[in-house]
Amino acid sequence: MASARLGRVEDLALITGAGSFVADVRLPRMVEMAVLRSGVAHGRLARLDCAPALSLDGVLAAVGAGDLVGVSGFPDFIEAMRPIGTFPLAVDRVRYVGAPVAAVVAEDRFRAEDAIEAIEVEYEPLDAVASLERALADDAPRLYEDWPDNKAVDVTRRDPEVAAILASSRVIRASYRMHRQAPTPLETRGSVASFVAGRLTFWTSAQSPHIVRTTLATALGLPEHSIRVIVDSVGGSFGSKTHVYPEDVLVAWLAMRLGRPIRWIEDRAEHFMASVHARDQLHELEAAIDGDGRILALRAQITCDIGSGEVFPAGVASSFVTAGVLTGPYRIPHAEVGVTCVVTNKTPSGAYRGFGSPEAVFAMERLVERIARETGRDAIELRREMLLERDSLPYRLPSGSVVDSGSHRECFDRAVELGLDALRTARTERPSSGSTRLGVGFATYLEGVGASYFVTTGNWTSHEMCTIRVEPDGSVVASVGVTTTGQGVATMVATVVAEALGVSRDGVRVDMGDTDRCPYGIGGLGSRSTIVASGAIGLAASVIREKALAIGAHLLEAAAEDLELVDGRVRVRGGGAAVSLARIATLAWVRTLDLPDGVEPGLQATAVYDAPGIDHRPDVHGRMNACATYTNGSDAAVVEVDVETGRVEVLSYAVVHDCGRMINPPIVAGQIRGAVAQAIGGALYEEICHSPEGQPLATSFMGYLVPTSAEIPEIVVEHLVSPAPGTPLGVKGAGESGTIGPAAAIANAVSSALAGCGVDVTATPLSPSAVRRLIRESAMDCAPDACEIEGAQV
Amino acid sequence: MRLECVVNGEPRDVAGVRESESLLQVLRERMKLPGAKNACEQGECGSCSVFLDGKLVCSCLVLAGQAEGAEIVTIEGLADGDALSPLQEAFIETGAVQCGFCTPGFILAAHDLLQRQPSPSDAEIREALAGNLCRCTGYAKIIEAVRVAADRMTT
Repeated sequence: MASARLGRVEDLALITGAGSFVADVRLPRMVEMAVLRSGVAHGRLARLDCAPALSLDGVLAAVGAGDLVGVSGFPDFIEAMRPIGTFPLAVDRVRYVGAPVAAVVAEDRFRAEDAIEAIEVEYEPLDAVASLERALADDAPRLYEDWPDNKAVDVTRRDPEVAAILASSRVIRASYRMHRQAPTPLETRGSVASFVAGRLTFWTSAQSPHIVRTTLATALGLPEHSIRVIVDSVGGSFGSKTHVYPEDVLVAWLAMRLGRPIRWIEDRAEHFMASVHARDQLHELEAAIDGDGRILALRAQITCDIGSGEVFPAGVASSFVTAGVLTGPYRIPHAEVGVTCVVTNKTPSGAYRGFGSPEAVFAMERLVERIARETGRDAIELRREMLLERDSLPYRLPSGSVVDSGSHRECFDRAVELGLDALRTARTERPSSGSTRLGVGFATYLEGVGASYFVTTGNWTSHEMCTIRVEPDGSVVASVGVTTTGQGVATMVATVVAEALGVSRDGVRVDMGDTDRCPYGIGGLGSRSTIVASGAIGLAASVIREKALAIGAHLLEAAAEDLELVDGRVRVRGGGAAVSLARIATLAWVRTLDLPDGVEPGLQATAVYDAPGIDHRPDVHGRMNACATYTNGSDAAVVEVDVETGRVEVLSYAVVHDCGRMINPPIVAGQIRGAVAQAIGGALYEEICHSPEGQPLATSFMGYLVPTSAEIPEIVVEHLVSPAPGTPLGVKGAGESGTIGPAAAIANAVSSALAGCGVDVTATPLSPSAVRRLIRESAMDCAPDACEIEGAQV
Repeated sequence: MRLECVVNGEPRDVAGVRESESLLQVLRERMKLPGAKNACEQGECGSCSVFLDGKLVCSCLVLAGQAEGAEIVTIEGLADGDALSPLQEAFIETGAVQCGFCTPGFILAAHDLLQRQPSPSDAEIREALAGNLCRCTGYAKIIEAVRVAADRMTT
């Protein structure tokens, strides 16, 4: 597109420090909230006395669950899940360290924090369930008394042929575990609430302002038209701010109660305990293979530790996604997949960029490597034999996902070239010597994008809306339901609107993140914004274009079908008489007397778009196509492993990516690089760990190691373009795909580097201690000359 | 307590500051300068970076009292009126900004580097920025922006 090379429309405010984040909101008479959080992982709330806090100077309110008159808990909509009934403050039990127990409002944050200390609270400790293995044990304490066990979800998608194929084939069995991680955006969560004349205005840092509004309306018993949710700049989210949290309800309720504006900004330690975690999933796989190692059928049990589940929505759906994409871009005819989500005494899990796909790809790509090793095949060749080719598309996966398009084989072949080139370079520049070993690893994936939100929430599906208005002077306003948390969505919207109406991008203002000004939307999540917003924009713009041409035809005394809308004008095709869009808009709104007969005043349109072909519920066989289309890609990582220290360094990383047509390729590449960096962090450094008692051990950036510029290598990004046949512009999603390959590619590279040492990576993270343990536990000698580079004919 | 200092060239005089307040809190809450961000309050992420008498500091780790009489420069003071600094321009041009929350800290850290070393190598840029966390970009475009600004400022 012509404007793709322009900068982003968002940047000027961000670069100069202008305040547009929720923590920058300042209101007259504003006071601050702080939250007393549980210090025990599992316990009965035996006593709570807020009175000592209330007696302190400057304290305006101190409340426990019993004080929240008129507040309803979060509803449970997900059909496959046992209801949890989360209430904003602990009612009689605490189920994770960090669970909100009481809230205080004071004149400033200092006083509020001091007042928290004054609240008297006693717990009767209960045995903590601090791992998924413990949650499933017969004698495990139950988190929810009325449940028979700790399983929030326990479903299986059956395939009656799998058992017979497994029984008659060679079977390879393996288990793969991805550890607990945190999205941890640089901006923590936060909200500001003001209740004036019966109307609640709620500034927050969120991905779905309308879902926040609907959920607040239910929790507070307010009509939706009495709530305005405003989301301005958001300092990253990565899924964590798709959820509605207890604090959102507390801030709003207290503001209504006190008649003072209230602000709550999460601090970093709170963030690590009270904002969602993710991943933490076990994959037990059985693959039936033919004589060449190709997978004929797969049986899988996916078990996810979702923490306490006390967030809206609870974090079960990423496991469904794992089940949906587990067989990846491979021709695997049969798969039977069980999904079990267990509750534990940890921070609730939720959405994190990639949402079940990095987990699936880590498990599958390690499995393929194992099959290759056990059958004496080259893993690259084995993948090539199983990968989807263009002539096999559309292809229905065993999960029911219909892969409509893609360049699975081409992406993989190019990633292999890039990876082997990078390995050659590394061998020249940093040859394996002494204690260091080089390795290359690959991963290939597909990703469902623009997914049904029904699977995740039990409400909403996949629509999005847009209103476009051409003002009397020809300037354009586009109001959309999608949002941005830093990806440049406003830039995308402005670009698509400008293209659709033949105006300059600077002539388009984008309204987003305000429930008073924008149509009801699901929001910016699930790699959907470009797909659904461009769909709605295209429909609305076509209505406007038609009307502009009708008015133009009248002014130019020409037939509408001979006219086109370009460069801000309606003109006779092929260059001829023209009239500006501004003049047409003036007629539409101001000089309405001059409108042609039969043309109504106004130049605006609202359209709703829902991508076709999406299933929101599984069929009787448990199959469904939950996504608008499928992005694909392949990654190559070159690593250096120090066998003495266990340190893994990623020397180079390449992604060959196909998200269909791109609106703004530099923004797409930025999304991929950033996502890869996050996933490198997840593969090597970042780990949310707990003591056996459920105490969190990483509650700051000193314990949770987000990678810096010193760790992240140069990331090569190449694009192939397979337009989506079912989306209006052929676009797909690109917000999450970069997170999917790195854990698998790096694990494969580390295994390749340590092939001579007999090491088999089955779990993340590959921290120095984990790598040292693998080497120590290996039966084989890890002497320098015992190692060779596997799978790389250099 | 009362705090007198010069911020972005303007003398400032703030009364009623608690002794326990950080410079970051004073800048954000009392001086209405939201450019420096509060993201960890432990000096681990660099989002709150400012110049204190020419030295790059994490303002969350500086007590307000330590800024008495000091000259402070924040991101709000980097542009010259409407004219962006070369680093700010380069950040926009190269696509180094995504959510923008960490961006002021990175620009000030890069500014500090270019004052010390006008033509840094990539390794020097990475080293100089290693105290700042970005969760969005993967750093490549930030490093490129510093390189572009350095080239422009030295020619």
